[in-house]
Amino acid sequence: MFHGTEAALMDEGLTSLPEASADDPLEPLICRIRAGDVEAFGDLLARTEGRILALAWRILGDRHLAEDAAQETYLRVFRSLNSFRLGERFEAWMVRIAVNVCYDLARKRGPLPAPAEVLDGLEGDAAPMAAEEAVLLHQRRALVRQALATLPLAERTALVLRDLEGHSTEEVARILGVRPVTIRSQVASARAKVQAFCSRLLKPTDGGRP
Amino acid sequence: MTLHVLDQLPLWVEGDLSAADLAAVEHHLAKCPACHAVAERLRTSQVWLREAMQPPFVPIDHEHLRHAVMAQIRTEAAAKPVHRLAAIRPTLLAACVASLLIATLIWRQEHATVSLPPLGVPSALPAGSATQTAPVVTPPMARQDLARVAPLKAPLRRPEEPVSSPIEGPARIEFQTANPNIRIIWLAQAKPLPEMNPTPLEAP
Repeated sequence: MFHGTEAALMDEGLTSLPEASADDPLEPLICRIRAGDVEAFGDLLARTEGRILALAWRILGDRHLAEDAAQETYLRVFRSLNSFRLGERFEAWMVRIAVNVCYDLARKRGPLPAPAEVLDGLEGDAAPMAAEEAVLLHQRRALVRQALATLPLAERTALVLRDLEGHSTEEVARILGVRPVTIRSQVASARAKVQAFCSRLLKPTDGGRP
Repeated sequence: MTLHVLDQLPLWVEGDLSAADLAAVEHHLAKCPACHAVAERLRTSQVWLREAMQPPFVPIDHEHLRHAVMAQIRTEAAAKPVHRLAAIRPTLLAACVASLLIATLIWRQEHATVSLPPLGVPSALPAGSATQTAPVVTPPMARQDLARVAPLKAPLRRPEEPVSSPIEGPARIEFQTANPNIRIIWLAQAKPLPEMNPTPLEAP
């Protein structure tokens, strides 16, 4: 991915992953797996599967596709574990693989389908007040997911990694193999689009640029 | 106040601005209600984003994933133990190189000590001729044990031809050098003396 920028980034050393902390708990597991202890991979899974599943779901926006992506990610991790350089952050390496898998699956699937439930629920209905709040919450969540689904894949990935996965801008840049300024630009654009999407649908008469 | 900070607000909302830019934006927001409203909406949408994107997976989903992945990995590891092979690859390579070297040395040694035909006095020569024709030979190499006097080749003479002279046919001397591919062959034949038929002296 990002083949066009790879050469320029190599010169700046930006394609390398973030460095691992001195007491990375995953490193002993990696050594055991490399030594042939296949069962140690189960421990690795147990420690990381939540984040990988969440990441795949946030990028792909589909539960079943996310499960497929997570499975494929772990298989790729297992097959290419010998190419991982100790000293780099293993989780960042795995996230990079997961993002690539998600891109592959997203390319195969095509554009994200808009969730049909979103706009249906915006109209008023005769639900009781107690249930109305829950319905509104559900609608709002679906709306935000739809807003995310309308973003270009690169912006969506940058936003997910930066704002939802909690990586710093520099870490996201290294994971994705682009410059930090690119990530900053993509994230800013994505935030503005999500805000505009939500404002337009939830409060059509309110807001707008000064 | 004409310059708004709308372009910087998406970065401001998550603290992505430098200290100088942050101070400038904060200063502007304190005075500009329009920009302040947009900033508030951005904050709200970020909260909604985090709330909406909570993953829907439960522990049973994790377990399913773990089982599926481990089953596949065990199958792959059993079919092709990549990691163990990778670990022993250098040893395997070194063993192969050592075997090849030893085989080469044995082969060279065998070819260097190829047994020569047995030394002997050529049978085609009559007794005593060998001593006549074979000169004293000084082998050029230090390995004198490999030098020998080879038998004369019989087909040089037709079988029906009678042996006319005890010194007929060349003496064949071979030297086997230390190099098995180099053999020095020396053919020596003494020329017969010119005939000494006495011519009658002319009478004066």
